[in-house]
Amino acid sequence: MNDLLVAAGIGVAFGWALECVGLGDPPKLAGQFYLRDFTVLKVMLSAMLTAMLGIFWAGRLGMLDLGALYVPETYLLPQLVGGLVFGLGFVLSGLCPGTSCVALASGRIEGAATMLGLFAGVLFIGLAFPAIEPFYRSTPRGPLTLQLVTGLPYGVVVALVTAVGVSTLAWIAKREAAR
Amino acid sequence: MRLARRLGVSALALGLVAPFVGSPYRTQQRGLDLDAIARAIDEGSDHVTARQLAEWIRDRRPGLRVIDVRSPDQFRDYAIPTAESLPIDQLARSSFAPDQTIVLYSQEGAHAGQAWVMLRALGVSHVLFVPGGLADWRDDVLNPLLPADGSPAERARIAELSRYFGGSPRIEGSQGGEVAGAAQTGPGFRRRGC
Repeated sequence: MNDLLVAAGIGVAFGWALECVGLGDPPKLAGQFYLRDFTVLKVMLSAMLTAMLGIFWAGRLGMLDLGALYVPETYLLPQLVGGLVFGLGFVLSGLCPGTSCVALASGRIEGAATMLGLFAGVLFIGLAFPAIEPFYRSTPRGPLTLQLVTGLPYGVVVALVTAVGVSTLAWIAKREAAR
Repeated sequence: MRLARRLGVSALALGLVAPFVGSPYRTQQRGLDLDAIARAIDEGSDHVTARQLAEWIRDRRPGLRVIDVRSPDQFRDYAIPTAESLPIDQLARSSFAPDQTIVLYSQEGAHAGQAWVMLRALGVSHVLFVPGGLADWRDDVLNPLLPADGSPAERARIAELSRYFGGSPRIEGSQGGEVAGAAQTGPGFRRRGC
């Protein structure tokens, strides 16, 4: 029960943050795909940098046991196909699952339509699962991380990702300032 | 904008210092902790009986993940309800959430025991196996022998658990273990392999 309360609290805070940066607005999200609006990229990059640096330093300072973290498994081909389907739905509706909840909570009808599609998709996949399970479990690669793929030490990967992330954010800020 | 710049500079500083501060892992991720393994075997915390597992499944124990390490063909023939198929050669490539209780089983237990050691070597700590495997599931859950000298409550508990999984308990002392109640059901097993 406590876990559910914590999850609900995090969910509300997450939704509130998304609404604050305007990610409940479908044209704003779709604008990312046409390189008109970089809000999505800015939010994603800053969130990833915060999480990565937070986890690394919390682990280094002994506040978090990194061995206890769950890294989801990679299934290369099904996840590539899933990513494409997800991206197609994202650009068509201008919303992803999280932002569709935010849009609905803000009273936007697009949010309701996207959530309907979301649940219909979940139902369809659930019913079709016995047929697609062999594909779903194909090309397993285990819990892949950048460290495992590149063979570089954890700290070096953190430095490289930070450099790329901060440089990209700085470039976006410069581009927006020039407009 | 000034705040964003400060945050960016802070992130960059934290990121660029990271390669020089060492590993953030408290312990080595992989490797056999032989003392812990010996302790688990000695205490019996390495395994769970088929009947106990049946109770966990029936009670929908939170975080329970039952894994069948046999071949997919054997899994398709019959598997313990709620189990997922994860053949032994795919175990090392899989990952397990830290809050899950992993229960492994095979045909008779040997392979599950070996898989248990593999998972412990991979750093999975909440892992157990069913020593008698699917054969124990048949003998102790699907077609258990109700003890003649057992209390009525104990016999009822075993029989109820068996019927929950579609089994038929047998009565001890009767000819070949007479089936209590309905006709004997469930898959036809025979002890074979591991």
